[in-house]
This record gives sequence, structure tokens and C-alpha cells, in this order.
Amino acid sequence: MIGSVAETIEAIERRIDELRVAVREAVRAGDNELATAHRAQLRRAEEAWDDALTTIAAAPPEPPEAVDQSRPAEPSGSLLPLREQVYEALSLLQVPAAPKLIATVHEAFFGSTFPTTRVTSLKRDEERSFRSAPFARPYYICAALSADYLAPSRGLLAVSTWPLERRMIGSLSPRVDFLTAAMRVAEAIERIPEPPPAARRLLQRFAASIPGGSAPGAGANPAAVKEAAAAELTVHTDADDRARHEAAERARQLKQPEQLFGTASFRDIAREAAGE
Amino acid sequence: MTVGQPPPDPVETRLDRLRGRAIPVNHDARTIAALAANPGCVRRALMDAAGVRKQDIAAHVGLPAPFGMSVFARTRGTAFEALVKENSASLLLALLREHIGLDVASAHYHDLNLVGAGESTPLWHARTRQQLLGADPRTHTMFDHPLLRLKVGGRYAYLEPDLLALHHEGRWYVVEVKSFAIIDGRADPEKVAAAAIQSAVYVHALRDLLGVDANLVHHETILVAPENFASTPAAARLDVRKQLGVIGRQLARIASIEHLLGNYPDDLTFDLDPGPDGRPRRPPGELRDAIETVVANYAPDCLATCDLCFVCRDESRSQGDTGVLGKSVREDLGGIESVHQALGLARGALAPAPEREEVSRKLRHAAAIWDEITTAAGPA
Repeated sequence: MIGSVAETIEAIERRIDELRVAVREAVRAGDNELATAHRAQLRRAEEAWDDALTTIAAAPPEPPEAVDQSRPAEPSGSLLPLREQVYEALSLLQVPAAPKLIATVHEAFFGSTFPTTRVTSLKRDEERSFRSAPFARPYYICAALSADYLAPSRGLLAVSTWPLERRMIGSLSPRVDFLTAAMRVAEAIERIPEPPPAARRLLQRFAASIPGGSAPGAGANPAAVKEAAAAELTVHTDADDRARHEAAERARQLKQPEQLFGTASFRDIAREAAGE
Repeated sequence: MTVGQPPPDPVETRLDRLRGRAIPVNHDARTIAALAANPGCVRRALMDAAGVRKQDIAAHVGLPAPFGMSVFARTRGTAFEALVKENSASLLLALLREHIGLDVASAHYHDLNLVGAGESTPLWHARTRQQLLGADPRTHTMFDHPLLRLKVGGRYAYLEPDLLALHHEGRWYVVEVKSFAIIDGRADPEKVAAAAIQSAVYVHALRDLLGVDANLVHHETILVAPENFASTPAAARLDVRKQLGVIGRQLARIASIEHLLGNYPDDLTFDLDPGPDGRPRRPPGELRDAIETVVANYAPDCLATCDLCFVCRDESRSQGDTGVLGKSVREDLGGIESVHQALGLARGALAPAPEREEVSRKLRHAAAIWDEITTAAGPA
């Protein structure tokens, strides 16, 4: 649940955004006095934001209420380690996602972002950690597997605690996951009283690629995006579920590390195919 | 599937001699497209068939061509492609639904680059082949990163296109992403022409790969480019039948290169005679002579496509070749080969042969107008 401190933090963040715009406009208009005044306010707001963040960090964790998987456990700034930030974003999306989308979601809903290049090494670190001490951590950031060869699907990250089916990527899965992610993002926006601009932009981008997701001229509306995505999902779900289920059955035969991080034998399989 | 060199034959030996000790260059869609841009150029046809590294030759005779994409253009291109293809090409899918009426259920997406670039290209090509010809056409919609290949002058050129193959109503389409803008429904005609010929290379290669029926791959390709001044993608159809014809002829011409080779001495070579440190030791004058043994067909368009352009331009200028003035002037001057000859006819210093009577009259007329203008403008 989003606590009261976090709401304050969000209010401060909005204030910071507004003040930045005010500073920019004052500078552009050549009004130095006004710009200086806004800059001072901006610094105070940033200090307040730091204080609020310290309060969150010091506060005891809230008792886990009926945990809704589709929402983040705790809003936070960039003080969390990268893997936890990735986990937060993936837990909101509930589907395998590429680093860029993960970073955008984190920026939109958790107020901080990270360079996607760092995410690439994250998966490697997670695999190393799992291989040296399996299941020592409550979750791992792992791979989504291509349904044909059970090889790691290029550039997609997932969470190890998800059902295996969800981490299988058949030919329809990218579309299904995209639509599911759109619905999750729309739901998350509906829960926030005043969604930040980054979240609206994200929703807008989803809406642009879903038929009926946005009305011309108007911005994206979470309810409309959800409805449109759900409508298209009904077309794909059956076929996609079958493909994912079938792939998951095969994946269960693999050893644990391969189940999480994919097989390395793709090249051998492909070489056989090449020697047809 | 066999990949690699065919057994040596006399033609191959001649081509190897032409190239000398240099490593043969690999063709890509751009170089194959350039072949088709000037089909009349024997110099280019020979050098490309032999895999000669033209930029090194041009540099050694002191006339290198400043080629290559600017960093900014490259970055913009990469960013736009990433935008169109992000989240498994969701923006592209929306565009295709609107544009070619793809139905909602056709939303399959296959990434053929599982092997990863930098790994074995034959393997990647094999995977492309296997997936495109795959058993279940119901799961065919978009195939990202296919690796195609074409046989150019006895060697396979692998084409790593920034494109998708699209299967729709039983036919295949080539979808190419380009970063030049379509403004108010119009784009730079030169860039569209270049894109069309590149797409045609892909259509040719895709037909080659699928093998069965050429009509399976549509002669219309889909060009995706940014619309107006934003980076919102827009799609347009390009009919590439004409370009396909040119490419087919040009590739056939390279394949039957022995006829062209027959016109030149056996010991002709463009070898740079590299020393132990890899620096060329061949006297540039001698190399220049070897280059000029083979006939070129210079036109100003070459400046956009060929590494040897400055060499050929220099040669054409010094010989007073009318081609320097552009294709349309050369055609207007029908049959008159040099600027010197044209001026002579215009001034009446040369007596025209009967078949040049018509063009001579035009030239004299033009000269008279020129004289009138210059005398009027001169003293006043």
C-alpha cells in the first residue's frame, strides 16, 4: 500500500517538477530575480525530499497486508539496489520485460531510473549467485525462455518466483505480454490520485499501439486502455496459453539453473538443423 | 547446405589475379544496390565481381572518396529503428494493421537473432531459413532480424537487414525501417530511390531463400519512416519491380563475368603490392594505368554510390568526356563523346558528319544565344 509518507514524497516530487519548469521559464524570459527565487524554493523542496526519504528508510516495514501481486511492495527512491528496483518494476508489470521498459516503469511509478546498460550485467550476477548458492535469496532476476529452444530470450528479464509458464515466450507471447503490461500500467495509474507525467507518457505509448486504446485528440485514458487491451487479449490468450504450457512442460525437465537462466545448447541444436 | 568457396575455375583464377593479395570485400545491401545504380559501368562490374577493395585503390592513387554515414545520422537511424521495434515491434504492428489490414489475431513475432550477431552467420542464416519455411504458417506474422544471402560473383554475401519479413494472406513482404522523414506525404526522392533499390535487394534474396514461387514474395515493399518532424512512424508502399529487374540483370552479368574478362589482358591486376608492414608499394601511376585499362561509365550520380568516383571523375574531366556534365546532357548530345568535339561543332570549327547534322544545328543555335547574351552583358 502507498503510505502517507510516500504520498508526501510524491507531492514533493510534483512540486520539484513544477519548480524546475518555473526556473526554466524564468531563465528563458530573462527574469534573473524570479529565477533565483524559484531556484531557492527548488533547493528547499529537494532537501525536504531527502528528509522524507530518510524517514521512509528509518520506518519499520509495514505489516504485509493482503498482498496484491500487481502492485509494488513499497515505493522508494534510487537508494535501493538495482536488483530490487528491477524487481519492483517487474512486480508491477507481472510479465517478462526488456530493460528499457523496466527502467521507464520504475521512473514513472517509483520516481527513479537507472541506465539500462547496468541491467545487462545484473542477469549475469544473478546467475552466478544462484549457481554458487541455489535459492539463497527469496527471488532472482532471471531470464524468459524462448518456447522453441528454451534458450534465454534476448533482452527479456523475469522474476524466478513466477510460474514457469509466464516465463515462456512463444510467438504470440510478446504481444500478450505487451497487452498485459498495458493493463497493469493502466491499473497502477488508476490507483494514484494524481499520476506523474512520466506515468501518463508511458500509458500514452501503450495506448498508441493498441486498437481503440486512445481517442484521437484526447490523452490516453486508463479505463479505455484496459478495456482495449483486454479485448485484444481474448483473441490471443488461448493459443498463447497452449504454447506456453507446452514449453513449460519441456522446461520442467531441465535442471534448476537452466530452468531459470535458459539452456546454452541452442547453438548445437541449430547446428544440427543447419546440417539438414 | 554448402557454404563457402566453389572449386577453382579459370574465371575464379582471373578474378583472384585482378584482386591481387587483398582479402575480398563482402557485399552488403548497399554495395549490391550500388551495382544496380550504374549498370553500364564495366569497371565497377569487374571490380565488384573480383571483390576488390575499391576504397583502398582510390586512396592509393590519391583520390579517396569521403564516404560513410555521419555519427549523427547513424545515431538517429539506430534510435528510430529501436523505437519502431521496441516491445516486440508493437508500434509497427499498429501501423501494419492500419496500413495493410493485418487482422488482430496475426500478432506473432519471431526474433531470428537468437544466435546473436557476431556469431556464426551461416548458422543464423540456417535458422532464418528453417523458421521462414517452418511447418506452421498459422504462427507466421513478423520475423525480426532475418539473415538473408545472395550469391555475388561466386561468393555468398550475407545481408543483415534492418527489416522484418512479414507474412500476410499467404504472401511475404519486406518491411524496411529508414530514418529519413516523410513530410506531408513526400520524402526526398533520392533517398526513397536508394531505399527502393535496397528493399529490392532484400526481395531478391528472400525469393532466393524461399525458392518455390517468386510471387510468394510481394514486389511491393513496406517502407517505415518518421512522419513530419516527430519520430512517429508512418508506412508507405514501394513498388520495386523495376529495381528487381535491374538487380537480376546485374547479378546475372556478374555471374557471366567471363565475357567481360575476355576483353582485357590476362595479366591485368589491381594488386597494391603490400609490403611486410601492409603498406602498398605499387607505384600509383602504374595502378592508375591498370584502372584506366577498364572502361568506366562515369556520371555525377556515381559520387553518391561508388568509392572510385573521384578517380573516374578526374579521368572523365581530363578526357573531356560529356558524362561529367550529367546523364541528361550526355543524352542530349547523343553520340558526341567529348566536350571538345561538342564545342568544335557549336563553333562550326568541325564539319559534322551527316548523322550529327541535327545535334550540330542545335549546338550552333545554343552558341548563338550564348554569344548574344555575353555580348549584351559584356560591355554594358
